Amino acid sequence: MSTEMVLEVKNLVKHFPIMSRGVFLKKQVGIVHAVDGVSFAVRKGETFGLVGESGCGKTSTARAILYLDPPTSGEVYFEGQEVGKIFKSKNKQEILKLRRKMQYVFQNPYASLDPRMTVADIIMEPFAIHKHVPKSKWYDRLYELLELVGLENYHAERYPHEFSGGQRQRICIARALAVEPRLLIADEPVASLDVSVRAQILNLLQELQRKLGITYLYISHDLSTVKHICDRVAVMYLGKFVEIADTDELFSSPLHPYTQALLSSIPVPDPETKALRIILPGEVPSPINPPSGCRFHPRCIYAKEHKCVENAPKLVDVGRGHLVACERMFS
Amino acid sequence: MKKEKSTKLELQYQNEKSRPKGVSQWNIAWRRFKKNKAALVGALIIGFVMFLAAFDSLIAPYPPNATPGFYVGEARVPPSLKYLFGTDKLGHDVFSQVVYGARSALYVGFGAAAIAMSLAVLVGLVSGYYGGLVDNVLMRITEIFLVIPFLLILLVFLKVITAVAPASIGGLSIVTLMIGVFSWASNARIIRGEVLRVKESEFIEASKALGASKRRIIFRHIFPNVLHIIIVLTTLMIATAILVEAAVSFLGFGDPAAITWGHQLQLANEAVKEAWWEGVFPGLFITLLVLGFNLLGNGLRDALDPRLRE
Repeated sequence: MSTEMVLEVKNLVKHFPIMSRGVFLKKQVGIVHAVDGVSFAVRKGETFGLVGESGCGKTSTARAILYLDPPTSGEVYFEGQEVGKIFKSKNKQEILKLRRKMQYVFQNPYASLDPRMTVADIIMEPFAIHKHVPKSKWYDRLYELLELVGLENYHAERYPHEFSGGQRQRICIARALAVEPRLLIADEPVASLDVSVRAQILNLLQELQRKLGITYLYISHDLSTVKHICDRVAVMYLGKFVEIADTDELFSSPLHPYTQALLSSIPVPDPETKALRIILPGEVPSPINPPSGCRFHPRCIYAKEHKCVENAPKLVDVGRGHLVACERMFS
Repeated sequence: MKKEKSTKLELQYQNEKSRPKGVSQWNIAWRRFKKNKAALVGALIIGFVMFLAAFDSLIAPYPPNATPGFYVGEARVPPSLKYLFGTDKLGHDVFSQVVYGARSALYVGFGAAAIAMSLAVLVGLVSGYYGGLVDNVLMRITEIFLVIPFLLILLVFLKVITAVAPASIGGLSIVTLMIGVFSWASNARIIRGEVLRVKESEFIEASKALGASKRRIIFRHIFPNVLHIIIVLTTLMIATAILVEAAVSFLGFGDPAAITWGHQLQLANEAVKEAWWEGVFPGLFITLLVLGFNLLGNGLRDALDPRLRE
């Protein structure tokens, strides 16, 4: 694995304004701090995991990277190019080039395929947009892609509603691969699938990575799949990263109290083991009015009142590429 | 059981060259539609009226506006074999006039619906897709059209236009145009709502992530996904337009030169007691045709609803 960075995210912020609706004018009444200053880098060919509970800003991060929702501030570099600059330049050719390099697989395969199009039309749409495949080769390429994701040629003329969830996710993956991307952002690709199908899709993703050398940004709240598929993992809480580490390192020696609590919630398939569960007090605070200082302090058992309430800890490298954002690391 | 069968079929087809086409949502809708008796009756009624309109001069025993009964003292005679639906005061054959009226009714219905739905689709798509200020302005305009007392304005306009314009430009076309221009608003709102729903779907997001242009997204993804609503609304719009035209003609604001069922009703108005046949037959045809379009529309709505499965 090379250390070349495919994706670099620097201080990414995504805020959503809350508007009150008037007849003509809208007034801003608040801000949802979905993503609040997130920095990380993804190496070429690796699978980078983004973990956190629902509503912590994982999907907002991904959408901001892809410029589906333009970020409020911060920079995203893809292979050295600044993504925001290219999109703001309105240069269609450059934007299309960039779109080809980064693709997205959605959480819900039941909603992410146009119900009025056949599988062939869906997978060949990227060819029509990017014109990177000559028209005479469209069907050849289509069948290649179908084979690649484990579907049959005769599926091409079918419609999405004729497929199961797992098959639909395969179609989504084939569509994303149709533009030959370097980075694939998979946003909970197996969350809405049957447990029995999950492993198939995860294995497919891994197999594709081996064959095509694609880099993955894998977003999930499911720790077991993250452990299975990711090389490195970032843990997110309320719009900020609390810990980044290699997967093995993170799962064997988590340093941040939130990560520790999160990992202790993984069920162990052994009735004899009495797992130590860390139960966090209270609820996740609202991202509209996040806590001061360390975002985790209201629920943290180690919270030292003075420091944690006032100082927002920065991610600090504690060795072996293990980054933690916790005041405890300094004392 | 059913599932087993289909997988067997699939295996069989894998080895064959001619593979079955997938079953599109339109195929499914057609299957559902075929089972709906009421909708088929509606289609049959519409087909019957279309047949009358297409071959009116062959079916009607007398030429348009002819008064075969006038000189022979057969004005306002009840239905007989000679005059199937009787004759009116001036000796018109009511049956012939009803047959000629079919073409007017369909002309107004389809014409006004075409105008209204074009406007509604345009406003609905643009407003729903672009949102923001465009949406705000368009929706305020739509609301203005919604609160206007439509029939009154229509009558005033028609009175003014028929007074100003020469009769030769075709009064029925003006009526059609006016109905079309004044009845797009509610449909535009429905289409806008539907566009808003589709616009937020993940498959639109996926297309955006692929770099699809706005034009592609609107015409290749959003439009096909709201088309079923447009079809249903069009059918119901036709029915409404026919009714409105009948009302306008009945009130005497229509084109006096055109043969319409509403106009016939107006003429019959003065002799409801003495000559029931003058009013009943054109009235019956209005009711039948409007019922036909409503049945068809309801059937289409049930058949095209993506939430319903077979």
